[in-house]
This record gives sequence, C-alpha cells and structure tokens, in this order.
Amino acid sequence: MGVLLFKCFQHATVQCSDKVPLRGKDDDSTKSKKGRKVQFNDEESPANFSSKSGEKGAPLKGGKGSARKEPAKYELNVQSELPQNSQCVMDCEAADILQGIQEQMVFLSRDPTIKIPVSFDKGLLYAKTGGRYSNPKTVRQALEGLKKYGVSDAEICVIANSCPENAEEAFALVPSLKAKKNKIHEPLEEIISQLVASKLPTENHEE
Amino acid sequence: MFFHIILERNMQLHPRHFGPRLRDKLVSKLMKDVEGTCSGRHGFVVAIMGIEHVGKGLIRDGTGFVTFPVKYKCVVFRPFKGEILEAVVTMVNKMGFFAEAGPVQVFVSNHLIPDDMEFQSADTPNYTTSDNSVKIQKDSEVRLKIIGTRVDATEIFCIGTIKDDFLGVISDPGAAS
Repeated sequence: MGVLLFKCFQHATVQCSDKVPLRGKDDDSTKSKKGRKVQFNDEESPANFSSKSGEKGAPLKGGKGSARKEPAKYELNVQSELPQNSQCVMDCEAADILQGIQEQMVFLSRDPTIKIPVSFDKGLLYAKTGGRYSNPKTVRQALEGLKKYGVSDAEICVIANSCPENAEEAFALVPSLKAKKNKIHEPLEEIISQLVASKLPTENHEE
Repeated sequence: MFFHIILERNMQLHPRHFGPRLRDKLVSKLMKDVEGTCSGRHGFVVAIMGIEHVGKGLIRDGTGFVTFPVKYKCVVFRPFKGEILEAVVTMVNKMGFFAEAGPVQVFVSNHLIPDDMEFQSADTPNYTTSDNSVKIQKDSEVRLKIIGTRVDATEIFCIGTIKDDFLGVISDPGAAS
C-alpha cells in the first residue's frame, strides 16, 4: 500500500513538472531544451520585425539536436530589415570615410559645444581593425562581380568584412550563399584568392 | 555592418541664429543632436557625412522658433542577425562572455561556446580548451555570429555564438606574452 502511494506520488510530481517545462531539467531533457529555445526566440522577436515569424516555429518542431547545428536559422536577412535609401558599406570603406571625417573634426571642434561622441571613436576603431584590405576600391570592384550571380550587397559586405581565406570559409560564414554554390563557387574562389593577396599584413596574425 | 543612409529630421532653431551663418548653425546643431544616438531601426549614427537638403522654415506659433526639415546623409552602424563580427572580449564569467564590436555590446552564452571549452575561474577568468591551446579571456579578439538583437533607447544589445565553423578566437593577448 505504501509502495503504491509512493508511486502515485511520484507520478503526480512528474506530471507536475511536465506542466512546467522550464523547471523540468531532469525529467526529460528534450522537453526542457524545447522550453528554453522557445523562450530564447521570444526574447529576440521584438527586434526581429522581418517576415521571419513563419520560419520560427519550424526548426523547433524538427530535430531538436540538428536545429542548433543548422545555421540556416540565423541566415543573413539584411535586405528586408534594411531601411530604404541606404547602402551597405564595407569596414575598409567605412574606415576611410570615418578617418576623413575625423580629420575634419579637428576644424569643427573649435566649437567647444561639439564633442565627438563615444560611438564615433568606437566605430572608427572597429572599422580600422576590421578593414584589413589595403585598397577598398579594388575589393569593392572584385566583389561587385558576384552581383551578377545574385549575391546581395549585404552578403558582399559580410564577405569583405570577415576576410575569408577561401571559398569554403565564405560559405560557412554566409550560409545564404550555399543556395547558389554551384554557380558562384569558382568565381568566388578566384576573387578570394585575389583578395588574400591584397590583405594588409597584420602583426596579430604573424604572432 | 556600416551603411550609408539618408535621414530626415525637423530642426528647431531660435530666431537669434538667423543671419548669414544660419546654415552653419543648423549643421552644428544637427551634429550635436544626432551623432552618437541610437535607434532600433537604424542603429548607431556614427557620423554625419553631409547635408542633402534644407527645406523651407516654418515659424512655430507662440514660440517664434522656426522648424527646418533637414535631409542629411550619415554613416550608421547596425548589427544584423546572421552577420559575422569581430569583437573584443570585455568580461568573462561562468554564464558566458561579453564582447564589444564597435559601439555594440554582444553577449555569448556558455551554451553557445564550443563544448570542449571550459570555464576557469583564475585571476583572469577564461574559457579554455582541455589541451590549453585556445583561450578566451578579457581583451581576446573573437569572431562571432550574431543570432539575436535587442534594442534599447540608447544601445543595441546582441546575442552571439562562436559554436560554428570558422568562428572563435582570432588573437589572444595572453599568447603573445
């Protein structure tokens, strides 16, 4: 009798923890994982005003284990989020522009009420460390050639900013390119090998 | 990533500034008001590149202030989901680590750090692989992928991952010494 009662009790607790999937860490690992995932996606949804909502549920219901490994979920979707009349700029181009503005700032800053905001300095520093190519114009020209294969501006920028060593790396970093892999693999490989040659020597990488 | 954008703003100017230097005053006020601000839609306004157009002013009833619609071109920085960023680690704890990519803060949770990296709570807390070959600590440079963004009135906060191919530490300050 006592055993039966204990079993009943056990059953009840399990049921209880089922209802609260976030707490149920040790009852069913897949369930708790699912709970966590949903919560995480909810958290990011306010900023994600693109039309991705339909996609959100799909990978969760599929294989939970594979969902994490599959990068397709985090695909670059700049085009839909980017406001109109805007144009992506590569880090190396931005570094040039900001550097130019900083030089002008010296004149402007005679007016003591204007002070250079923190985000400007941080942005410039970021652009400088990110922009590893010696000549932004040649980089732009080289990558512009990919446009005829349907590669978007944003994808081009991400490729330029991450300075991949070969096409495989570019495909891994920008998974949306994989759809056009057959068409662009060769030209991309060629362009990247060109770009690698024009890279600035960085001390960090030599060490 | 950085991008160029043309934005519009209504600038209010006091009548005492009216004169031959009116335009200069508008520009300097615009810079003061806009540079360094952050909006969810556009990101951080890093710098104003130039004024495209200044519209006709309109006198406000009661105050005498005049409103000018100003179109300006600026450079903004905004992280996107799926983008690859290079960030500098600013803080490491057992929950994960914080890193900075330009003006943007990124948090990488320990679930999104490769499983073979373990948290070590030494003098400088760090994540290290079992064979000690790779170490993430303060000032390390990492390449990460943005998987989510949250926008505040004054800052953008991102969640990133380094648990993917070709992501992770680029340079380690400890390795040089």
